[in-house]
Amino acid sequence: MLREDNCPRCGHVIKGQALASEWGICNDCTHHLDIDPRQRITLLTDSDSFIEFAGELTSSNPIGIDGYAEKIAQNQKRSDLTDAVITGSCTIGSYKAILAVMSFRFMGGSMGSVVGEKITQAMFKGALEHTPVIICTASGGARMQEGIFSLMQMAKTSSAAALLDRLGIPLFIILTNPTTGGVTASFAMLGDVILAEPGALIGFAGPRVIEGTIGERLPAGFQTAQFQLERGFVDAIVDRRKLKETLAYLLGMHQYKKIKRTMRNVPKKEETQVISGEQGDLVSSVGTMENMVDVEAPSPSRSSWDRVLLARQQCRPGVDTYIKLICENFMELHGDRYYQDDPAMIGGIGTIGGYQVTIIGNRKGSNLKENVLRNYGMSNPEGYRKALRLAKQAEKFHRPVICFIDTPGAYPGLESEQRGIGEAIARNLKEFSMLKTPIICFITGEGGSGGALGIGIGDKLYMLENAVYSVITPEGYASILLRDPSRAKEAAEAMKITARDLKRFNIIHDIIEEVPEGAHANPAYTAQKIKDTILKDLAILCRKPADTLVRYRIKKIRGIGMGKYASSWWDPLLQIFRDVQNRVEH
Amino acid sequence: MIRSILIANRGEIALRIIRACRDLGIRSVAVYSNADVDSLHVKMADEAVCIGGPTPADSYLNGSNIITAACLTRCDAIHPGVGFLSENSRFAKATENSGLIFIGPDSETIALMGDKIEAKRIAKAIGVPTTIGSEGPLADMQTALSYAEAVGYPVILKAAAGGGGRGMRIIENRSQMPEMFAAATKEALSYFADGNLLLEKFIGNARHVEVQLLADSFGNVIHLGERDCSVQHHHQKLIEESPCAALDEKTKVRMTDAAIEIFKHIGYRGAGTVEFLLYNDEFYFMEVNTRLQVEHPVSEMVCGIDIVQQQIHIADKEALPFSQEEVTLTGHALECRINALSPGKIENYIPCGGPWVRIDSHIYSHYSIGCHYDHLLAKIIVHTSHRNHSIRVMKRALQELVIEGIVTNRDQQLQVLDTMQFKTGQFSTNLFDQVMSVQKSQTRKKAYA
Repeated sequence: MLREDNCPRCGHVIKGQALASEWGICNDCTHHLDIDPRQRITLLTDSDSFIEFAGELTSSNPIGIDGYAEKIAQNQKRSDLTDAVITGSCTIGSYKAILAVMSFRFMGGSMGSVVGEKITQAMFKGALEHTPVIICTASGGARMQEGIFSLMQMAKTSSAAALLDRLGIPLFIILTNPTTGGVTASFAMLGDVILAEPGALIGFAGPRVIEGTIGERLPAGFQTAQFQLERGFVDAIVDRRKLKETLAYLLGMHQYKKIKRTMRNVPKKEETQVISGEQGDLVSSVGTMENMVDVEAPSPSRSSWDRVLLARQQCRPGVDTYIKLICENFMELHGDRYYQDDPAMIGGIGTIGGYQVTIIGNRKGSNLKENVLRNYGMSNPEGYRKALRLAKQAEKFHRPVICFIDTPGAYPGLESEQRGIGEAIARNLKEFSMLKTPIICFITGEGGSGGALGIGIGDKLYMLENAVYSVITPEGYASILLRDPSRAKEAAEAMKITARDLKRFNIIHDIIEEVPEGAHANPAYTAQKIKDTILKDLAILCRKPADTLVRYRIKKIRGIGMGKYASSWWDPLLQIFRDVQNRVEH
Repeated sequence: MIRSILIANRGEIALRIIRACRDLGIRSVAVYSNADVDSLHVKMADEAVCIGGPTPADSYLNGSNIITAACLTRCDAIHPGVGFLSENSRFAKATENSGLIFIGPDSETIALMGDKIEAKRIAKAIGVPTTIGSEGPLADMQTALSYAEAVGYPVILKAAAGGGGRGMRIIENRSQMPEMFAAATKEALSYFADGNLLLEKFIGNARHVEVQLLADSFGNVIHLGERDCSVQHHHQKLIEESPCAALDEKTKVRMTDAAIEIFKHIGYRGAGTVEFLLYNDEFYFMEVNTRLQVEHPVSEMVCGIDIVQQQIHIADKEALPFSQEEVTLTGHALECRINALSPGKIENYIPCGGPWVRIDSHIYSHYSIGCHYDHLLAKIIVHTSHRNHSIRVMKRALQELVIEGIVTNRDQQLQVLDTMQFKTGQFSTNLFDQVMSVQKSQTRKKAYA
């Protein structure tokens, strides 16, 4: 199965080694070697489940190149493949999937009409059968011998991917070594989830071409899977031995739900946990909130400034702790697909009490080293764009979104401005307000102004007891308005930034309890309260049609600070919604 | 996996650690004070960060600046080198708390062994002979006097939290005690912030022999031979060699076994040294150095193992790749330290070389030696098959060495190597003072002649 006796990276002998012969992995340096596509199919799919289709397709030599037919015949004989990709249907972890595996061994994995057609057929089959499509890519680029027809395969495969996207059918890509050229610039980068094997070369132009063009040596690690992960173009790097279980997990999280305009993303009763407490409905919960205006705040036990300090403490539990305590499983997905993976923002998919959800959160560090790496929880535009990408995916696959907010603010740096931090936050405010899926937001620590609001638009907004949410830091307020930065304590009191204040103002729905010393003393207690809230809300929200959700969300946002004057603008707004719906229907 | 290391030190040891990093493909980050801008370790590292002003307190002893520099440059670990913060348990703890790896033992071990009294207690408890003296810190001068009476003069007062030869006073008789006690307490307080002293019987003509050990985080402890560091001046080592010329095989085995026993008992991790006094074929435990030592190249030449690299591997949670049986000690290695006796600018520097000669140095032509730090310029290390051969090659190497513009101790070293005592291997810690006093009287004779 392996063509080499020695590992091409470290040079050690791999012939006869168990790890190498079974998985194609060097046992000394864990370099992932090229393996036979049929071997890969055996490793990925349930045994005997793979049924090939379109295996009879071969190239007709469309532009009449001399010697091309012979080259094809030669490659077919040597590799036991008809062309550079095998397509078929299969099951992975008992979930149905359409699988396409490309092979570098057949003419360098180059994409010509046959590869393009087979990939397109695989995607169409997925569309017709409502089955997720998985493609393992390996390619040196377009098949030059087929001229312009090779180039057009990029358009063909990409528009098929567009169809899958429109129909809400998942496309999962596994980038293997190497994936370059026309394949990278078409369907390979269009997956809903893009995985990569460790050490894979992934890029558009080949390294030698780039070096020749710029006249410089390329930096170490350029165009590797790790590089693409850091640059935000790959969701996760997965060791070949873990690929099957990861794909099974992803398939399980993306099972097709027959949904028209009503949300039925509700797990069966046995799967969810029983939550005590009233099962209110959307209208009445909005109603109770409006009645809460002007309620007097009880005298607080902790001063506002003390809460600010507590919210900023390094040991305060963050999104990572809550994910661990609340979710049954969680897979982090990286990257914004534009520029970078922001380490200050975490995003991914997981399960809470049987509900499949997308989780987004600000991420601080628990020690100095982590804080420097995560920029103290201050996101660049990439963080907000990653949040948006994952929220849009949640909308497509009908998953609720849970946001955990804890940030001093968006990062006010040079590069932030260069890449449009303002635009990133603004776009999130716009898109999240109309997202056709439930959104529940929790402020667990610092709600730092626009940086917090960028992932803080939701159907429900909660604050932890000691969390704070403000338009500017108390220090900033003291500097500018009180003209004395040392009066931050006073400013904190005056600004009304605590959970109690915001509940009184009708901005948040409820306050989540912490133990008296603070959440850090018993994170599990607060985590349980958060989980109960999520399950209670999802039980209601998931039963509502998406349009209704959006309508009430807009109503809540529109009504902030309006208090008694609600009725005057509600009816005209309702009319607008009806008009929009009518236009869509006809 | 440690991929980048910040070296919290300067001079030739920083260079040594950078070289080990280079050989392992690890990114090195140097730190420097304003006075060290032109230093070689700054030029050689992959990255360098200025961490403060010229005084050590501002820079090389500034733990928070160093840790912040490590986090800002995305380092995985800090190597503390020798001296400075290498035996500071609070710094080790702060490093670990910041999410970085401290290349050395854990902070508790450093604190434990840093207390000389505690260290002796532990050694005694497991049956290793220790130098006779006070069992605990001296409550006051009266207690010191009574102990001194018990063990007999001469005695030595040592700072309990001390190291590097500081905070020590030798007392010949009763009358010297008040003055020396006060002076030692004061020096201990100022250098180590701990005025506790202990008292020991002073053996003037003992040999200082230490054992180099490596211990991983899986409980494996091995020794890399012993070093004789008896040629000292004011407790500062000048010449070191391995193996010790006056150590017979049986005593050597007992000594290395005792050292290994101590390290296993305290669960030591990393490179470390156990120091003994050798007197009349008997050895007495003195203290443990929980760090790399300046004279480590002597052991490296004899056993063929890169000790700094092993420190990094151990910190990376790897097991020692060899057992005691696989460690072979061959030949004889000798090291001479070349110190500057005055600050100034090196007008011309031509290093020595040739077969069997290794030179660890950070100096170069036109480099200025300041007054803020220690005066070690270079370590000349020679490794041959026999002691006589090593001495001959060392003399040749020292004569080749050219350092013009400042006064060095090169000639003094040559004198020591020329003495009959050194050549026959029959010398002790008072050799250097003897040589210098002989020289003084000779000079005086010449003056009067």
